[in-house]
Amino acid sequence: MLDFLQAVSDGVLFGATYALIGIGFTLVFGVMHKINMAYAAASVGGAYCGLLVLKVMAGAPAWLVFLGAFAAGGVLGWMVYLTCFHFIPLSSPLATLMSTVGMLLLIDEVIVHVTNGMPQNYPLMFDDVMLRAGEFTLRGDLLLVFGVSVLVMIGLLLLLYHTRLGLATRAVSQQPVAAQLCGIRLVRVNALTFVVTGLLGGIAGALIGASVGMLSPLLTLPLTVKGLIVTVIGGLGSVPGAIVAGLLVGGFENVLQLYRGVTERDLYVMLLLFVFLVFRPGGIFAPKSGRD
Amino acid sequence: MKKLTLAVSLALCVGTAYAQNKTIQIAGFGAKSGVVRSFGVNSEAALLAAADVINKGGGVKLADGSKARIAIEFYDDRCNAEEGISVIRRIAGTDAVVAVGPTCSNVAEPLFGILQKKVGDASDSGLQFPVFTDVAIKVGLAKISEWAFRNVPNEMTMYNSLFYWLRTTHPNAKTVYGGVEEDFAHSRATWYLVMKGRAEASGFEVLGNSKWLLADTNFATQVREMKKANADVVAISAHPFTTCGVLKEMQRQGVKPKLLVGLTSSSSLETLQGCAKQAEGIIIPTSFAPINKEAINAAQSTAKFKGNADLHSMAAWENMFILKNVMESEKITGTDVQGDRRKIRDGLAKLKTTKGLIGVSKRDAEREADKPYLFVHAKKGEWKVLYNPL
Repeated sequence: MLDFLQAVSDGVLFGATYALIGIGFTLVFGVMHKINMAYAAASVGGAYCGLLVLKVMAGAPAWLVFLGAFAAGGVLGWMVYLTCFHFIPLSSPLATLMSTVGMLLLIDEVIVHVTNGMPQNYPLMFDDVMLRAGEFTLRGDLLLVFGVSVLVMIGLLLLLYHTRLGLATRAVSQQPVAAQLCGIRLVRVNALTFVVTGLLGGIAGALIGASVGMLSPLLTLPLTVKGLIVTVIGGLGSVPGAIVAGLLVGGFENVLQLYRGVTERDLYVMLLLFVFLVFRPGGIFAPKSGRD
Repeated sequence: MKKLTLAVSLALCVGTAYAQNKTIQIAGFGAKSGVVRSFGVNSEAALLAAADVINKGGGVKLADGSKARIAIEFYDDRCNAEEGISVIRRIAGTDAVVAVGPTCSNVAEPLFGILQKKVGDASDSGLQFPVFTDVAIKVGLAKISEWAFRNVPNEMTMYNSLFYWLRTTHPNAKTVYGGVEEDFAHSRATWYLVMKGRAEASGFEVLGNSKWLLADTNFATQVREMKKANADVVAISAHPFTTCGVLKEMQRQGVKPKLLVGLTSSSSLETLQGCAKQAEGIIIPTSFAPINKEAINAAQSTAKFKGNADLHSMAAWENMFILKNVMESEKITGTDVQGDRRKIRDGLAKLKTTKGLIGVSKRDAEREADKPYLFVHAKKGEWKVLYNPL
């Protein structure tokens, strides 16, 4: 029983990293009804850029690296918007989808070429904190990731429902033409959405780097897949859904790994996705309304 | 008379210049993109550095007595089997007389399969092109084709010796627990076919093993299994990214075995860059360390071409000098490409021993090397020689 509880808690806590990536996917989808396949790669890219802080200032504190990742994530988000959405006709969903897939591979390969594919040590946050109750343990760094996920969700909900930018974003999400007629600048709102998700991605990438202890280009593809699964299970466009689904997927895969082994683990995660697609295609928190 | 002397001198100069313009093309191939890019980068640097040294020494002596320079062209196979097969076909279509590569065993295995199996078999339309592998290390691959040769360490011998040495020097260590990267050909084969059996043969009791995948990031469950086993020795058969992930998780969970053993490929800069602190003390058998002047020079020359010296890249360096000797002893012409390829193959097949950077390697009938080795351990962010059984 203890093994089961430990596997659930380990998985749920690690699922917070999936949740952070899922939030970015879902936010872009919620506003533009587009999938940004490059999101996880840009997040990891932002985290790599954060390491530049250590190049400039050896021995810099971890929070400064995280701040660098946060800023770089925003810049990368804006660049992804510019290259994959701004100049590409939004009326063609396949064009933007493919351009973001291309961007994912591009970012991945740039990281590989800059670092020669070598794993980079990442500054740790609360890594030495371990909550113990007998044999049962909880990792402090993953609790931090979990806490940040919740804070991000609260922050995003405040942004969406209590600011002019949030109002504009929701208007663009629901009726882009009407929003434009009301004087809302569509391009600006879309670009800002990418910058906001990019900032979030940078911090997500840094937290993932800190929780894994390293950054590697190996992270981008699994995070993209997990982020997409989380987005679909949580409900496309739902921020709370992404968090709940992230934790659910993390716990589910860890329990399956315990009982069925690592080689079967991902089979069951995919099966879970199919179950949702068949029986609840809108996900756990399907939004009630969307763009016409 | 003076005019005649001048004319002869000029003719000799022209002749020498002509000879100097002769070029022997050697192809290198391996992963230069993707997560194992560092292997390809290091191999290419070692090949270029070795070629530079050979060329500065006058180049390769051809059958007619003239000298030819060595030119290296390196191809990227992305550590992908289909790409590797396409690359070797492309190389075979050039004037290259031999290829050095590939990086990955999952490329080497199918790639050797498209080479002619038995030399001179007219019914076999496989490629008749010699491949001299430097990195792909999975046991027993060269026997696939008589055109395939390898200069990679023999892990069976190395781990046999390592576990025996551990057993004798640490008599209190009696049990072993394994950790294996299940979806990577080399790591998987090394645990199941090599480490596990060799540990048992040396008198260790193998208590079990935990599995993970190459791109995994969460090792909590696996390390808990490891902790429960409470083995004296933990042997990790995985590449640097997951080796470091597991070592960091072991630190979090307070798993402190008496001894740590790693995979040959992890005795690289990558592991130290990823987790020097947690890797402290890990013991790995390797076929290269800068223990003599020649090895130090090879490492320094490779560094000039922006590569790191390790057991893999230094095998590429050694291959170049072995090939130079073979080309000279077999008297290649430099003009008959297919004829020269055959001569090189036959020359490589004849070798019983080769001179390596840390000693003499034996070569067996299956075209594999039995290289000298030593044991290194991570100490204060560097790989230091722990024991030299030579």
